[in-house]
Amino acid sequence: MTNLISAQSHIMVQGITGRRGRFHALQMLKTGSQIVGGTSPGKGGEWCFEGRLPVFDTVSDCIKSTNADVSVVFVPPHATADAILEAIEAGIKTIISITGSIPLQDMMVVKSVLKNSDSILVGPNSPGVLLPGIANAGIFPNDIALRGNVGVVSRSGTLCYEVLDTLKQNGIGVSAAIGIGDDQIIGIDFQSCLELFESDPHTDQIVLIGGPGGDSELKAASFIMEHVTKPVIAFVVGENLAPSIVRPFFSRSGSLSLASLGKKTLALKEAGVRIANKLNDIPILLSS
Amino acid sequence: MKLQEYQAKSILKSAGIPLPASTLATNAVQVKRIAAEIGYPVVLKAQTLESGRGSAGGVRIVHNEREIENISNEIFKVIINRHPVQFILVEKALTFMDEFYLAVISDLENSTPILRISEAGGATFLESSSFEDALVVDRPIDINTGLKDYQIREAITKMGIDPQLWKQFQLIAHKAYEVYRQYDATLVELNSLVLTEQNQVFVLDARISIDSQSLFRQESFADAFDPTYFGWEERQALKYYVDYHIFPGEVGCIVNGMGLAYLTLDQLLSLNTLPAAMIDIRGGATSTSTASSLEMLLLNPRVKVVLINIFGGMTRCDEAANGFLQALNRGLPRKPIFIRLEGTNGDSGLDLLHNNENMSFFGTTEALVNATAGWLRGEEL
Repeated sequence: MTNLISAQSHIMVQGITGRRGRFHALQMLKTGSQIVGGTSPGKGGEWCFEGRLPVFDTVSDCIKSTNADVSVVFVPPHATADAILEAIEAGIKTIISITGSIPLQDMMVVKSVLKNSDSILVGPNSPGVLLPGIANAGIFPNDIALRGNVGVVSRSGTLCYEVLDTLKQNGIGVSAAIGIGDDQIIGIDFQSCLELFESDPHTDQIVLIGGPGGDSELKAASFIMEHVTKPVIAFVVGENLAPSIVRPFFSRSGSLSLASLGKKTLALKEAGVRIANKLNDIPILLSS
Repeated sequence: MKLQEYQAKSILKSAGIPLPASTLATNAVQVKRIAAEIGYPVVLKAQTLESGRGSAGGVRIVHNEREIENISNEIFKVIINRHPVQFILVEKALTFMDEFYLAVISDLENSTPILRISEAGGATFLESSSFEDALVVDRPIDINTGLKDYQIREAITKMGIDPQLWKQFQLIAHKAYEVYRQYDATLVELNSLVLTEQNQVFVLDARISIDSQSLFRQESFADAFDPTYFGWEERQALKYYVDYHIFPGEVGCIVNGMGLAYLTLDQLLSLNTLPAAMIDIRGGATSTSTASSLEMLLLNPRVKVVLINIFGGMTRCDEAANGFLQALNRGLPRKPIFIRLEGTNGDSGLDLLHNNENMSFFGTTEALVNATAGWLRGEEL
């Protein structure tokens, strides 16, 4: 997974003095990730965690002093696009936005700038990228996965934790887990992650975790058909929710999406993917 | 978030888009007074966010003062999709020679706004068969450089629109895009644009949707939610920044994240059990919002049992647990609570709760859902 993060990555945190950024910077430190510092405009020159991590005003200052090449973004939604654009311009290679629910038009601007850059964006609304035992660039719970040869890619963060936990309970290890995020406009997609896993020598099998809304699973299916030779197992939740029982009454950030009524699993099946109907099917399929 | 027609039109009017005169009324007497000011014929349009307004009898043309009060009262009695009509927009009726469609829509696939123009306007545009037949031109707009004159020209020349009208079309397209940007819209739809006998272009009907993720900087819309649509629970959900979904069952669910919501829902359904409500506290919830979520479920008479399924990443289980304890100390109705806390600070969260006699604890989603469904069927724990 050296394309996204590796043991050599120098990870920084944008928004390191905020409530969430600070907490998770410490969690990452505790899990042994190579975290080198962070930004918090106006607090440059301060230190976090008893002098362990330096704080800078800008991303470029942080890069100059720490050689940061991966940034995990925790700043609130109104400032997230600005933070991502700052990281792109400063030359951060992998930008991981934990913050989600970013205004759509902000993301349109980010995506158009991203297109002409060498940066990769993971998220927004991503749990991060996890290389068990090597690096946790994000908010994955501590000790959630063992090191191994299964690559995991998921739209939902919590569902990714569920799957990692199930794999761990069954003694199955993971090469990398990538949360691509569940916002309407995201950076890296299923296809790019599948491509990474396909060429990663430490990954033998792939687990893809999907859900209702959008057609990213359908696109993943056609990509798998054409380009993926490693075995893929898919777990798609909410596939068969009847529209009649889901009354999307109200929600702040979008409503429950209607289920694809089996279309996604069908497309994946046709691409040669094995389907897990419940969580516990995943370890069984991986071991068979 | 959809805006009502009158809200959309007031935004478009202040942006300088030509619209027929219109005013909002709340009763038949007001309708009559406004119609006299505007001049007959007028169109009376029920204001609703539901579709099917026309077929429900919510739009009527009135030609003279004799019929106006009767027709208004008939419209105020119309129920559209369970929602009674509370407001009527009284609008000058125009005669026109041609109809068009113009919209700025959001292409999420390619992360770009799109200018869409069609020669077919009005209700016919929305019927899919004619949509396929009609000439529709889509032009992606570079969000960093904005909508360009030539893009509009390329679209309208394909429609065979008289060059004398180009200026009017260009003005309207630019204004529509300005509204889209200024108000963080996901959709600005002018359907239809009409051409009058005087060769003037007007917007007859319009829809605007605002990106609910931008409400923090679009404060004027924070109160634009129609209060008739939202009960106490929905307003609480809005206040505490949680997602709230209503179902016809008996289990009140609290989860973090949509993926876990669907997983829980799938497992409940596989046991023929339905939620009464599904609350997604989202990532990094505070104790205030978890307290409020539990309070909503304990107060909801349809909720017989509460199911809490939290796998914390950014959500800290101890903080969530603190919120649940706060809610339990508010003297609310007591209900059995089936709970699973896993992930970030999971152990300290469980330590806070373990003395609580209303709660039963589980290690996995499957065990949690099985026990909840079993309890509803009358099984002993």
